[in-house]
Amino acid sequence: MSLKIVPQNVEIRNNKIEFENLLFFIIDSNSNTKIEPLIGYDAIIIDAKDADFAQLVLRKIRGHYNPEFYLKPVFLINYKESKDPILHTMNDGFIHSYDQLKEIADIAKQLFLKTTQLDYQPVATFEAQIIKKVLNYMYTRDLKTLKPIPDLNSVIGYTYPEISINFDSTEESQVLEILEWGEKEGLIWPDFYERIYLCNQCSGGFLSYREVCPHCNSSNSSAQDLVHHFPCAYIGPISDFRNNVDNSLTCPKCNKALRHIGVDYDKPSIIHHCNNCDKNFQDFFVRAKCISCTQDVEVQYLIPKSINIYKLTKRGRTAAANGFLSSGKEVDDIFGTLSMPVFKTMLHYEIERIKENTEQKSSIAIINIENILELYKKIGKKAEKTVLESVVNLIRENIKPTDFMAFENSTTLYMCLINNDFIQTESDLTKLKSLIEKLIKNNFNDFEVKINFKASLLQPFNKSEFQLDELTKELFD
Amino acid sequence: MRFIDEFINYMSSVDAAKLFRMFWFFFIFEFFRFFLVEISTIIFWKFDSIFRKKGIADARLSLIKNQPLVSIIVPGRNEGKHIYKLVNSLKEQTYQNFELIVIDDGSDDDTAAICRNLEHRGMITAFYRNDVRGGKASAANLGLRFARGEFIVHFDADCSYDRDAIENILVPFYYNPKIGAIGGNIQVRNYKESLCATLQALEYYDTISIGRITTGELGIYRVISGAFGAFRKEALDRLGGWDIGPGLDGDITVKIRKLGYKIHFEPTAVCQTNVPITFNRLIKQRLRWDKSLIRFRLRKHRDVFFPNDSFKFSNFISFMENVTYNLILNIKWYFYLLDMVFNFTSQLIFIIPMNIVLYTVNNFMKFLVFSPFRDRKNEGITYFLIYIPLMVFYFGYFLRILRTVAYVQEVFFKASYKDEWNPAKSSRQAKALKL
Ligand SMILES: [Zn+2]
Ligand SMILES: [Zn+2]
Ligand SMILES: [Zn+2]
Repeated sequence: MSLKIVPQNVEIRNNKIEFENLLFFIIDSNSNTKIEPLIGYDAIIIDAKDADFAQLVLRKIRGHYNPEFYLKPVFLINYKESKDPILHTMNDGFIHSYDQLKEIADIAKQLFLKTTQLDYQPVATFEAQIIKKVLNYMYTRDLKTLKPIPDLNSVIGYTYPEISINFDSTEESQVLEILEWGEKEGLIWPDFYERIYLCNQCSGGFLSYREVCPHCNSSNSSAQDLVHHFPCAYIGPISDFRNNVDNSLTCPKCNKALRHIGVDYDKPSIIHHCNNCDKNFQDFFVRAKCISCTQDVEVQYLIPKSINIYKLTKRGRTAAANGFLSSGKEVDDIFGTLSMPVFKTMLHYEIERIKENTEQKSSIAIINIENILELYKKIGKKAEKTVLESVVNLIRENIKPTDFMAFENSTTLYMCLINNDFIQTESDLTKLKSLIEKLIKNNFNDFEVKINFKASLLQPFNKSEFQLDELTKELFD
Repeated sequence: MRFIDEFINYMSSVDAAKLFRMFWFFFIFEFFRFFLVEISTIIFWKFDSIFRKKGIADARLSLIKNQPLVSIIVPGRNEGKHIYKLVNSLKEQTYQNFELIVIDDGSDDDTAAICRNLEHRGMITAFYRNDVRGGKASAANLGLRFARGEFIVHFDADCSYDRDAIENILVPFYYNPKIGAIGGNIQVRNYKESLCATLQALEYYDTISIGRITTGELGIYRVISGAFGAFRKEALDRLGGWDIGPGLDGDITVKIRKLGYKIHFEPTAVCQTNVPITFNRLIKQRLRWDKSLIRFRLRKHRDVFFPNDSFKFSNFISFMENVTYNLILNIKWYFYLLDMVFNFTSQLIFIIPMNIVLYTVNNFMKFLVFSPFRDRKNEGITYFLIYIPLMVFYFGYFLRILRTVAYVQEVFFKASYKDEWNPAKSSRQAKALKL
C-alpha cells in the first residue's frame, strides 16, 4: 500500500496511475511478477532500481505469446545503463521521475495507433508465428533492422533481443533457425556480420579451442624447435643442444658449438611432445571443447553459422502490418488429418448430404491451443510435429472413423463430426479438451496447455467457408 | 669361320704358363677372388649352417619370447605415393611389435598430406617432416631421435618385404650379441621390365646375395644397404646416427664395425626393390654410388689404414679388400689392358675374344654352381641363363668404365660435394670439414 503524490497532482495508488485517460501500472520489486492480471492496463512502468528484477519482468511481458502483452508499451524508471540487451533495447523509453509521465504517455499513444493497424490472423507454423510476432513488434516500434548483440548470457555468444526474448538463453540457436526461415520467406535480408561455430551436440557457441595430441587428444603438450646441425647431420629438439651452464648450444653428436643459423645449422620444423601419452608429433589436432555440454570435438565437425544483421524487406514491411501467407509447408502432412482445401470440399459434400436428409444433424468444431508456442519454446521446434501427431492420434481414438479434421495452422484445428448433434459435440469436445491437456501435461514436463473450442451445428443452407469463418470469429472474440 | 679356326688353333698352341701370362687378370682376380674364394666360403657356410641350426632356432625363439620393440624408419623425399602400399604390406609381417616412423625430408609433392592422413588413421606410428630439406642422413637421424625401439630397421619406401623379412633380419641379434648391424638380402623386383633391369638382377644376385654371404662370412661385409638394414639402437645412438651422404650406408657400417660390433648379412631376410630400367638412370645411380667409395673409404675413414685405438685387423682387411677389389682392381685392369696392348699387340685379336670366352664360362659356372645356394629365387634358373653371355659386357666393360669415370671425378674434382643429392648447405659444410 503506497500512496504517493507526484507533482502535477497525479496520484499513485496501489501502483496504479491514471494519466490522460491512460491507465499505467508500476511494477516494483515488491510486486507480484505474474503479469496476466495486468491485461487491462494500457502501459506498464517497471521500476528498474533492481535491474535483475526489471529484466525478469520485461522478459515475461515481451516473451508472452499474446500480443496484448508483448506489444504493450513498457517504460522504465530508475533505469541505469544495463548490460542486459533485452532490458536495454526492448523498453519503450525511460523516465527519471513521474514528472515525465507526459512524455511516455505520448509514446504509448503512438504505439496504440500503430498496434491497431496490425493484422492478427493466425499463421501456420511455429516459425511463422515467431516471425509474425517479431515483425509486429518491429512495425509498432519503427525498427528497420535486427541487430545481433554480443551477449555472454546467450549460449551462442550473440543475441537478437527481439527474437531471443521468445527463447530461453540456452535455446539461442533456435533464434538462428527462425532467422533463416524468415530469410527464406523473403521477409528479412541478411548482411554478413560475423561467423560463429557451434557445438554439434548442443549448438552452444562457447567453445575453447586447443591444440591437442593426435594420439590421445590431451592438450597437455609442449612444443620445441627441431635443430639440424649440418656438419654431422644430427637432428633433434633444441633441448638436446642446451646445457644447464650457459646459453650456448652444443651439438650432442659432434660437440661443436652452433654458430650461425643458416650456415652451420637450421631449424627445419617444430616438434610437440605430449606430456600425457609421451608421444611426439608435429601435426596437432585442433579440438573445441564446448563449455556448455563439455563435448570435445574436432573443429571440422563444428557447425558454422553466419551472424547477420537483418533488414526488413519490402515484403517484410507489408507483412508486419497486413499479415502474410507463408509460402512454406503447412501442417497438412500429419497422419489422420486432411489438408484445408480437401477439408472444405468434404465439408461441402456433407452440407449437400444433410440438405437431403434433414433429420440428420452434423456438427463442425474449432479447437485452438492458445499457448502452444510456449511449449515449442521449451521443447524445441523439432518437436512440433510430434506434439501435433500425438494430439491427432488422441482425437482419432475418440471420434468416429467417418469424422474428419484439418489443421488451419499449428495451433488451430477444424473438425467435422458426422451425425453428431450440438449437445453431443459439446460434450465430446469437453472430453477431448481434458484428454489433450492431460496428454501434454504428462508428456511435456507438466506443461499446462490452454485449450479453447467452439462448436456449431452444420447449417444446410450456408456455405462451408462462411460457417467456418463464423465459428472462428466466435472463438477468438 | 676362318677366324674361329685360327682362334682355336692359336689357343690350343698356348701352354699353361703362357695362358696365365696372357690372362693373369682373369685368373688372379676374377677366378680366384670371385669364384674360388666365394665357392669355398659358400660351401663352408652351408656346411657350417648345419651346426648353427640349433642356435638359430633358439635365437628365433628368444626373439619371439622377448618381443622387443622394433622401430622401422623410412626416410624419404617425395615418396608419399609408395607409403600406403608399404603400410599395407607391413600388416602381413610375421613380426608385429614394431612402430613405423616415416620421415619426410622436405617433399614438395603431396607426401605430407598422404602421411598425415595415415598417421591420423593410426597406420603410421609417427610422421615427422622437415619443411626445409636436410638430406637423407638428417631425415634418418630425425627418425632415430624419436624412435623408441630396441632395434632400428631402415626401410626404403619403394621396396617391398617378404612376410618374414623383419623376423629374419632380427634373429641374428639373438644368435650373436656381438652383432651390431644386419644387412638384408636385396632382390630385383622389376627384373623383367627391361634388359637393363635383368642384368642388374643378375648382378644383385651375384654381388649382393652371394657376394655378401661371402664377405659376411669372412667378416669383411662392407655396406648395409639403406633399402633393408637392422641396427641395435644403442650402436646408432653411440654414433649419433648417420653422417652426411652420399654413401652413408657404407659409412655407418664402417663406424659400427669400428665400435667393435660384428656386421652380419642375412640372406633369408628378403627385400625386393625396383632398379633403374634405363641405362641412363643406371649410369647416374652408379656414378653416385662409386663416388662415395672414394669419399668414405679413402678420405673420411683413412684412419683404418693406420694403427690407432680403434684399429681392428678385420676392419683393415675389410678396407683393403674393398679398396683392392674396387679401386685398385680398377687400376690393375688398366695395367692389364696396357700390358696386353704393348706386349701382345699382335695377339690382341685372340686375347680379347678369349677373355670374353673365359669370363662367360666363368659366369655360367658361377651361376649354375651358386644357384642351389639361393634359397629364395625370384625366377627359375632358365630365365636368366640366356642373359649370362651379356654379363661380361655389363660387368666387365660397362660397370668398369662407369667406376673409372666416378673415381676420376671424385679424386680430382670432389664431385660428390656438388651432388644434388644433398642440399647445398650440408655439402658446403661437409667439404669445409673434409668429411
Ligand atoms: Zn653436430
Ligand atoms: Zn598424447
Ligand atoms: Zn555442446
